[in-house]
Amino acid sequence: MSPRPQQERRILGRVKRAEFVGRDAELERILSLASHANSARAGGGLLILLAPLAGVSELMRQAYDQLFNAQSEAVPIYFSLPASDTTAVSAAIEFLNAFLAQYIAFRRNEPSLAQASLTMNDLVQLAPAADLDWIEQLVSAHNKQRFSSDERELVRFCLNAPRRVPSGNPQPYILFDAVKLANYDNEQVPFAGELIKALAGSPPFVLAGLRREIIREVEQAGIDYGTHEKVRLEPLAEAEARQLVASVARREGVAVSDECRDLLAQQFEGSPFLISAMLLAAREKHLALNSYFDCERLYVDELLGGRLNHYFTSVLENVAPEPIVRSALIRLLSESLRAGQRTASFAAWTRRLNLEAADVESILRSLHVQEIVNWDGETVDTQRGSGAWRDFVRSRFRLDALREPRALVVADLMSAALQRAPQTVARHYRRSASLPLRDVLQAFNYQRVPKVLFDYAAFAADYKGAPTEEIAARLEIDPQAMKLPQVFHTAHGVAFSAELKQFDEESCVVAHAFAGTSYTNENEVVWLTAKIDSKLEADADAVADWCNRLENLAQRSGFSRVQLWLIANEGFSVEASEKLRERGAYASSRMQFELLSAQLSEGLNKSTAAANNEYVFILPMGADNELLAAATAEQIARRLNFRPEAINQIKTAIVEACINASEHSLSPDQKIYQRFRVEDDKLVITISSRGILPASVEAREGRTHGKDAGVLEQRRGWGLKLIETLMDEVEFERVDEGTSLRMVKYLR
Amino acid sequence: MADFKSNVRSHTVGTTAVVYASDYLNKLTGERIERECKKQLDSGARALVIDFSDTELVNSIGISILLGIIDIAEKSGALVVFSDVNNETVQLFEMLGLTRHVVLAKDEEEALTTLSSSSKAMGH
Repeated sequence: MSPRPQQERRILGRVKRAEFVGRDAELERILSLASHANSARAGGGLLILLAPLAGVSELMRQAYDQLFNAQSEAVPIYFSLPASDTTAVSAAIEFLNAFLAQYIAFRRNEPSLAQASLTMNDLVQLAPAADLDWIEQLVSAHNKQRFSSDERELVRFCLNAPRRVPSGNPQPYILFDAVKLANYDNEQVPFAGELIKALAGSPPFVLAGLRREIIREVEQAGIDYGTHEKVRLEPLAEAEARQLVASVARREGVAVSDECRDLLAQQFEGSPFLISAMLLAAREKHLALNSYFDCERLYVDELLGGRLNHYFTSVLENVAPEPIVRSALIRLLSESLRAGQRTASFAAWTRRLNLEAADVESILRSLHVQEIVNWDGETVDTQRGSGAWRDFVRSRFRLDALREPRALVVADLMSAALQRAPQTVARHYRRSASLPLRDVLQAFNYQRVPKVLFDYAAFAADYKGAPTEEIAARLEIDPQAMKLPQVFHTAHGVAFSAELKQFDEESCVVAHAFAGTSYTNENEVVWLTAKIDSKLEADADAVADWCNRLENLAQRSGFSRVQLWLIANEGFSVEASEKLRERGAYASSRMQFELLSAQLSEGLNKSTAAANNEYVFILPMGADNELLAAATAEQIARRLNFRPEAINQIKTAIVEACINASEHSLSPDQKIYQRFRVEDDKLVITISSRGILPASVEAREGRTHGKDAGVLEQRRGWGLKLIETLMDEVEFERVDEGTSLRMVKYLR
Repeated sequence: MADFKSNVRSHTVGTTAVVYASDYLNKLTGERIERECKKQLDSGARALVIDFSDTELVNSIGISILLGIIDIAEKSGALVVFSDVNNETVQLFEMLGLTRHVVLAKDEEEALTTLSSSSKAMGH
């Protein structure tokens, strides 16, 4: 029998590489950093910032296996902080032991040693000749250190052990799983600080942990957060979560129907930990998961006594080790999960827990790190944590505090879970099929789009019934354009109004935006958008209801300038369109929305394609340099066969635009930036500059009053007037400073 | 006789001063013309001809200075004629309302003839 190829050896990985779902990019990042282990420019480390329950240990184990099997210069060392029942000192000694075992395993190319339970003396015996000296010295130094009374010094010694590898020997590449770092918060020895300093002292390294905790600890350790690469690890996306369910079920021999696969992926919100826990429990209990009933029965069992219970209990015990405090905390969390009690003040928490402020702070910090609450120092937002966590808290409260019969709690939990299951899956299916309203709004960034996409009545009159290709082609040349605002924040409507809870979360989005060229209060506008669920054209009543709902939301939220936008699959009836027009609301059918979405996506690609037909010039201000710009434009316009009259108009407009740009007395670089873009039927010219906004532009924007300006100032505003007369389209584009004037001349 | 002291070419025909604009009428060249026109008016000129035969391009600042010259001339009771203005520049003058305040002549000769007729009509 031939020996197993090294690439396939599973060492620390719990699953085969082929069974490891998702996280390809993250794995690649970890592997690529290993190449720096023996280079002089080791640089920084890689921080894996983990969302709670997103799971990271298998990712690091897979990386370990690949690096071990590659047998290149970097020696992988994987260490996961023990979950509980251990101290900082014993964790540090465990690290030292794991470091030596894995280093020797790699050097001897003997995978079995990587996890072997060996004493320090065993390890010295196994050390290869090339490493014997330094390993002997390290073990000897450790034997002296372990009997000293300075625990912090011992922790520091152990964590810094990788630095003792001589420079000529292969260097270790530490993969440190610190998801349980919070368990070491109450130690006398500041473990987190020592760990981060030790890792930062011997890059490259990978440090994975809960995102809120890692960011805080790195900053507190005085390490420059910016020098390290970061990977943000979120729960799995829907497709990957389904794939994980199928993969784990296959591996563990658990039968899972497609419906249950989708349910588990949705109910556990893409958490590899929770999904795996459920399937492992199913295997142990020899259960098939063929129905929602099978899944929820197992879920309730697990939540009240299995893996899920064990995990959530350990989180809770770590946050509040004292039983009395823990009990008060469960009561407080359970009560605050009720509707309408989303936030509470720090003072209220202090009163309810009946603790000193410092102790409450410690509890809140732990809950914040676990993302069970959001705590900003004052307000505590408890509507966080997974659905399973919320079920756990409620059931613990009923069992422990209210002393309700366990059978009743189980029955209620089961009933609620069964009722919720079809809703969970239905919500997922709706979301999959629904328009990505929030995504589209987030893409708004001053693009020019056909106005008709926001006017269903006009669209129906001009385009309805035409083939999609024809509509798209005609929209390209539709002269009526509107400029979208720049959206800077979006949220689901339910975040602003509890009234919207009755609708699907995706059905209403609130988008804060700026219209116009400057960030001013006057230019701020809030787009209130809603999708009307209607199989036919939405009628006037539905439109009136949504307009009222959105206007109420605007009033309650104090939005001074709003734009309503309603979307209905099949558009709007004549009466509904009339009502929308009266209220100044935009209206789109699904087709209009999809066309808009396509245009916004295309815009990103177009900008790259356009680069080939683009000319960019930078001129210093002054010295009649606008004539150079005009001459350049003339050459380009001649190539496009513009008429001589049009060429002169373009030249004059460019001269005026350059003069405008030059009027920035505080322009820091005194340069005029010109971009000429040749498109099929037009020349697009953009003249921009850095510096302060010219008074003439401000006046245009309504920030100064033209009537107060003197005759000369009014005449100086002629430049813009001329440009607008000479060119076919003129607009100021949004820039952070200075101004950018976009002018278009069409070939006729 | 031509006078180049202010870098602006000019000459007088009786009480009419003829001032020549350069190829690009902008702030700098506009102010030079303005200074020359003021000088001519101060020296007793009763009419101004600004000749644009060399002018290819004008900008809005240059045009606003021309309006200032028309104001000054009106206050001095002097007439102003623009001669030999190319079509594109005429368009700009029209856009900005300049042609309401000034007479346009095909060339310098026509400008002088126009002024001579006006002067006779006014009994000068």
